[in-house]
Amino acid sequence: MENEKLIANPTIVLREEFDDWAVLFDPDTGNAYGMNPVSVFVWKHLDGNHALEDIEKKLRAECKNVPDDAGVFIKEFIADLVAKGLAGHKFQNA
Amino acid sequence: MKLMNTPKSLELSVTNRCNLRCTYCSHFSGPGDVDHDLSTEEWLKFFEELGRCAVMNVTIQGGEAFIRKDLKELIAGIVRNRMRFSILSNGTLITDDIAAYIAGTGRCSHVQVSIDGSTAETHDACRGKGNFEKAVQGLEILRKHKIPAAVRTTIHRHNVNDLDNIAELLLEKLRLPGFSTNSASYMGLCREHAENVQLTAEDRSSAMATLLRLNRKYDNRISAAAGPLAEAKMWMKMEESRRERQKSLPPCGYLTSCGCMWSKIDIRADGVMIPCTQMSHIELGRINSDDLKSVWQNHPELKQMRERPNIPLEEFEFCKGCEYIPYCRGGCPALAYTLLGKETHPSPDSCLKRFLEQGGKLPDVL
Repeated sequence: MENEKLIANPTIVLREEFDDWAVLFDPDTGNAYGMNPVSVFVWKHLDGNHALEDIEKKLRAECKNVPDDAGVFIKEFIADLVAKGLAGHKFQNA
Repeated sequence: MKLMNTPKSLELSVTNRCNLRCTYCSHFSGPGDVDHDLSTEEWLKFFEELGRCAVMNVTIQGGEAFIRKDLKELIAGIVRNRMRFSILSNGTLITDDIAAYIAGTGRCSHVQVSIDGSTAETHDACRGKGNFEKAVQGLEILRKHKIPAAVRTTIHRHNVNDLDNIAELLLEKLRLPGFSTNSASYMGLCREHAENVQLTAEDRSSAMATLLRLNRKYDNRISAAAGPLAEAKMWMKMEESRRERQKSLPPCGYLTSCGCMWSKIDIRADGVMIPCTQMSHIELGRINSDDLKSVWQNHPELKQMRERPNIPLEEFEFCKGCEYIPYCRGGCPALAYTLLGKETHPSPDSCLKRFLEQGGKLPDVL
């Protein structure tokens, strides 16, 4: 599963606010979720071209002072997104 | 306070046409009250911009929104651009067909219907004969299609003594989860009929006491952002603070009402961007010509409105010597404008001291 490409639910709205924070808005439910800058970074890479480990690598390459356990956070965050229907795994043709 | 990149929500007057002429209506006397609607295509193009701006919610209003024949197309455009919507209505033009469509979108937060009386006599006093039955029928159609239905009761001279019966109708007979209230304000057509529809200080006192009593009876299922119930809660808190000689009630003491211009912007029926439906004279730009994000962030009039919270009430001659200054937020800027011709001024209508000088009494529940 961890090598599968991840993709954001296209219905979900990313509202970028000040200081790199953002809100994810699900118009079908009306639910909104606050996102810190790392979460925003992850969300922007749920484009169907990146798997979980790709995103972690990119985060370490592009950001300073990334904690050692960032991968754990990313994994949990994505699992939460998938559980809420906000993101999913891209279907791969055989 | 930091400003959002773009407005979170918008109120859209998709038409200025209405099948009714309620005597207290806040429309039909302002610069945005034009007799033609924008085309479907103009609205749909604008909705694409709203989608790009990540706007979350829009409120569709009028005039009467259901008068537009292309309402389904407009709603489809809103849904396509990943927004939710609410509709404000007099309820009289709601059909099974449009209700089924709205329900099918899954994006409707609520449709608000105005119910001003427990009987045709009180409801129709300001809204015109036959409209009570139609409004209640519209409400029933919404509920049949499981659309969240909200009810707003505007309190005026002709229904102020019917509040017990209205609450019984809405909360017991119709079994609504709740309803909201406001009161006829000195705007639009109400200005022409103020003597006949606006509440006197005595009426306001009575309405405040009644609504607080009804809220105890009905477990706080009656709400208000303006009007007697909101005033009762705010003014009682102010009086309590004064009696206890509290230093202040942050963020009071300044023109801190209201906060709308930090999160939303409105569009007139002719496509002009305005800070608030009740301040349609402040023209900020035009949809599909001016960039919404730029207007939102940079327009000098909006910036000036957002500076209101820095203006101390003690600077105003109107407030000189008032004991309530540390506990007062200055009230609605739109009402300050309609009453005095300036937005950057406390609203006389929201003034507790003035209310008491006019013979008004706060409910005796402190």
